[in-house]
Amino acid sequence: MLSNFQDQFASLTIGGLSLGFIYVLIALGYTMVYGVLRMINFANSEVFMYGTFATIIVIRDLFGFTQQSEPATGFRLVYILFLCLVASMLMSGILSILLELVAYRRLRNRGSNKLAPLISAIGMSIVLAEFMRILTDSRYVGSPRVMEKKILGTFFGAELRLDNIIIIIAGLILFISLSQFVQRTRLGKAIRAVSMNEDAAKLMGVNLNFVVSGTFLVGGLMTGAAGFFYVLKYENTSFNIGFELGIAAFTAAILGGIGNIKGAFYGGITLGLLETYASFFLGTQWKAVTVFIVLVFVLYFRPNGVFGEAITQTRA
Amino acid sequence: MSESILKLQNVTMQFGGVVALNDVSFEIKKQEILGLIGPNGAGKTTVFNVITGVYQVTQGDISFEGKSLKGTKRYKITRGGIARTFQNIRLWGDMTALENVITATDTHKKSGLVSGLFGLPVSRKEEKRDKARAQELLDFIGIGEYTDRLAKNLPYGVQRRLEIARALGTEPKLLLLDEPAAGFNPAEKVELAKTIRKIRDAGYTVLLIEHDMSLVMGVSDRVVVIDFGQKIADDLPSKVQNDKRVIEAYLGVPEDAS
Amino acid sequence: MFNLRDWGAGVWERSGRPVRILIALGAIAAAASLPLLGGTFLNTPIADYGSVLVFPVAIFVIMALGLNIVIGKSGLLDLGYVAFFAIGAYTMGILGTKTGLNSWEILPIGIAMAMFAGLILGVPALRLRGDYLAIITLGFGEIVRITALNLNSIGGANGIVGIPTPPTIFGLEYTFDNHRLYFWTFLIIILLTIWMIRRLSVRRAGRAWESIRQDEDAAELMGVPTFRYKIWAFVLGASVGGAAGVLYASKTLFISPDNFTLQVSILILACVVFGGMGNIWGVILGAIILGYLPDRIRFISDARLLVFGAVLVLMMNLRPDGLLPRKKREKALPEKGQS
Repeated sequence: MLSNFQDQFASLTIGGLSLGFIYVLIALGYTMVYGVLRMINFANSEVFMYGTFATIIVIRDLFGFTQQSEPATGFRLVYILFLCLVASMLMSGILSILLELVAYRRLRNRGSNKLAPLISAIGMSIVLAEFMRILTDSRYVGSPRVMEKKILGTFFGAELRLDNIIIIIAGLILFISLSQFVQRTRLGKAIRAVSMNEDAAKLMGVNLNFVVSGTFLVGGLMTGAAGFFYVLKYENTSFNIGFELGIAAFTAAILGGIGNIKGAFYGGITLGLLETYASFFLGTQWKAVTVFIVLVFVLYFRPNGVFGEAITQTRA
Repeated sequence: MSESILKLQNVTMQFGGVVALNDVSFEIKKQEILGLIGPNGAGKTTVFNVITGVYQVTQGDISFEGKSLKGTKRYKITRGGIARTFQNIRLWGDMTALENVITATDTHKKSGLVSGLFGLPVSRKEEKRDKARAQELLDFIGIGEYTDRLAKNLPYGVQRRLEIARALGTEPKLLLLDEPAAGFNPAEKVELAKTIRKIRDAGYTVLLIEHDMSLVMGVSDRVVVIDFGQKIADDLPSKVQNDKRVIEAYLGVPEDAS
Repeated sequence: MFNLRDWGAGVWERSGRPVRILIALGAIAAAASLPLLGGTFLNTPIADYGSVLVFPVAIFVIMALGLNIVIGKSGLLDLGYVAFFAIGAYTMGILGTKTGLNSWEILPIGIAMAMFAGLILGVPALRLRGDYLAIITLGFGEIVRITALNLNSIGGANGIVGIPTPPTIFGLEYTFDNHRLYFWTFLIIILLTIWMIRRLSVRRAGRAWESIRQDEDAAELMGVPTFRYKIWAFVLGASVGGAAGVLYASKTLFISPDNFTLQVSILILACVVFGGMGNIWGVILGAIILGYLPDRIRFISDARLLVFGAVLVLMMNLRPDGLLPRKKREKALPEKGQS
C-alpha cells in the first residue's frame, strides 16, 4: 500500500492541488463575508452549487453538447471554457448579492437576536438547495465532456492532466487578482477597513451597504469560479454537493484563520491535499467524517487557525 | 482598618505588541475608597479586567486577601469576593431589576439545578432568602420601586444604580465601579457620592474609576493615577491634585495627541 | 392590538390556585381528546390522522421542548440535535431486539446514553461561541449518522427491524395501530417535560441560562458558573431528545440512519423558531403546526423542506420572536404607595 502511495504521490499531489484551489475559492466566499460581517455565510455552499449548474447550462444548452459530442479543441475550446467561467462567476456573484439583500440585510442592524442571521442563512441554504432539487428531480446531472483530459506530460512522476493544470493555474491567477484587488482598489481597501474596525470605517465615510454588497459580490465571483472548476474536474453536479463542499471549504477557511484571505489560501490547499491523500488510504466513504474530524480538531485545539483571530476571546 | 485587601505587584499586561499596563503596583486597604484616574486610554479599565480575571497578567501578580488570583477562573474570582460594574452598562435587559440582582445572589447559593428541580427545602429556603436580600439591595441603592420593571426599560440613572445593586448581590468584599457617574447631572453625582460612602460604611471596600475630578477627589481616601499604562501617582487626593506629573498627563505636552 | 401571549399570561396571573388547577386540567383534557377529532376538518388526507398525531406531532413537540432549553433559553445554537434522538432510538433498537428489556426499562438507559453524548459533545464544543458552536454541533450530528450508517454491527444502512412495542399496560395493548394509546403515553412524557422546564425556569438554573443567553461575559463576572450551566442545558436538552428517540423507536418498530438526518435537526429548529424561542407554549404550538400541516396540505407535503427553510428565513426577518414571544410586556409601574 505504502509503495503504491509513493508511486502515486506526485499525481495525487497534483490532484490534491487542484481540489485545493477549488476549496480556496469557496473558502474566500466564507472568509471575506466573515471578515466584514463577523458571520458565517452558511448559504455560500448553495451559491457554489448554482455556479456549477451555470457551467452545465452553458455547455449543454448554449453550446448544445451532449454525451455523444466530440470534445472541443483549440480556440473554440478556450472560448467555451472562458464563457463557462464567466457564466458561473456571474451566476454566483449575482446570487450572492441577492442573498445578502433578502436574507441578511435587515438583520444586520438588529443586534438583539444574535442567532437570527445564522438561522436565516440556514433557511436560505435549504430553500436554494430544495429549489434545485425540485428542478432536477433529485437526480445527479452529468456534464458532457467538453474538453479532452489530455495528459500534457509528466513532472517528477506526476501526471499532468489538462483539467488539473488549468484549475491550478487559473485558480492561482484568480487568487492573486483578488489579493491585489483587496490591496489596491478603493472597494478593496474599504472592505479591509470595515473588517478591521467597522465604526472607524463608517466615520471615515465608507458606505457600509455598498461595501457589504461588494464583499458578497466578490466572494460570490470566486465561489462561482470554483463551481466551473468543479464541473471541469468531476464532470457532474447535483443539488446537494453544496453541503459537502461547503463544509470542507468552511473547514479550510477556519484552518487558515477565518477572516484572513491568506489563511483561506493555505487552508484550502492544505485541506485539498490532506483529503486527497486520505482518500487514497481510507476510501471515499469516510471522507466526510475525516473533514468533520479535522474541523472539530481545529476548533478545539487551535480555534485561531494558523493566521486568524481568536474566536474564543471574550470582550469586557 | 488599615489591612490590605488587594495587592497588585509589578503587573504588566501585554497584548501582542501593545503594553497596556507596565509594571503597575499598588494596594487597596480594607474599607478604603480608592480612586483610579488617568487620561482616556491610560489603562484603567484594563486594571479592572486583570483584577476580575478577564485577562491573565503577562507578568506580575495580583493577590486578594493574601491569596494570588493567578489562573483563577472568573466566576470563582467573583465568588471569592470581587464584583464590578461596567463602563457600558451590561445588565440583562430582558430580566427585571429584581431578577438581575437575584441572579447575582445565586453566586453563593448551595442549591443548584438538581435541588431546584425537585424543590428540595434548601432550594426553597435560599430562593426566599435571596429574593428578600435582592429587594433589600434595591432599596439600599434607592431604586426599590423598580423591582418588577424590565432592566432594558429603566431610565439611565436607574440602570447605572441597578448595576451597582447587582454587583452587591454577589456579596463582594471589594467592589469595582467603572465610571458609575458617566452621564449623570451634578445632582445625581452628589447622590452617587453619598451612595458610595454609604456602601463603604456598610463594610465594603471600593475601587472607583471616574473622570469627574470633583467626585473622585471628594469621595476617595486615596487616589492612584495611571498614564500610558504606568502608575504616576499614589497618594491623598489633595497631594495628587497638585502633582506636576499628573497635571502634565492630563493637560499634555503640545505634541502629544491622546 | 390583541396579543395572545399577554392575554393568556394575564388570565393565568389573575387566577387563584384553584382556578389555575382547573385551567391546567382543562388544557390537558383538551390535548388528550385530540385523537378523537380525526373525523373533523382536522383530518389528514395524506396519512392517518391518529398516526400523524403520534409522529410527527407528539414527537416533534417533545424534541422542540428539548431543543428549546438549548436554543431558546440558553441561546446556544445546536444544529445537531438529531444526534440525541438517534442515540435514544438506537438504544431502544439494540436493547429491544437483543435483550429482554422492555420499553419502560430501556427508557432511562436511552436517556442516560443521550445525556452522556450531550456531555461528550458539550465539553469541547461549549468553549466556542455562536456560529462556531453551530457548525461543530452540526458536525456531531452528521458524525453520529454516518457512524450508524457504516457500523454493520448495529444494522448499517439497513437499520434495525423488529423493535418490540411497549408491554401491555393495564390490559391495554400497544399494537402498532393503537395510535391513541401511544399518543396518551407520549402526552404524559410531554407533561413531565413541561413540568421539568417550568420548574427550572424560576430557579437558579433558569436565571443562569437567561443571563448566559443575554450576556455571557457579564454572567461570568457576576459569579455565574457559565460553563457548568451550558453543559447542563446541553445535557438536559439531550435527555429529552433521547427520550423522544426511545419512544419513537418503540412506535415505528423499524429505524435506519435515514431517519436521523440533518434535516430532522433543521425541522425541529424550525418548530422552535416558528413557535417562539424561549416560550414553552410557543414552541409546542410551533411543533404542532409544523408537524401537522405537511400531512394536511399536499403542497406543503411535497415541498416540505423548502417550506421549512422559507419559514426560517421569513420568521427571522419579519417576526424573530416567533408566534408567541418570549416575555410579556411588563406590568405597568405601580402607583406611588403601592408595592
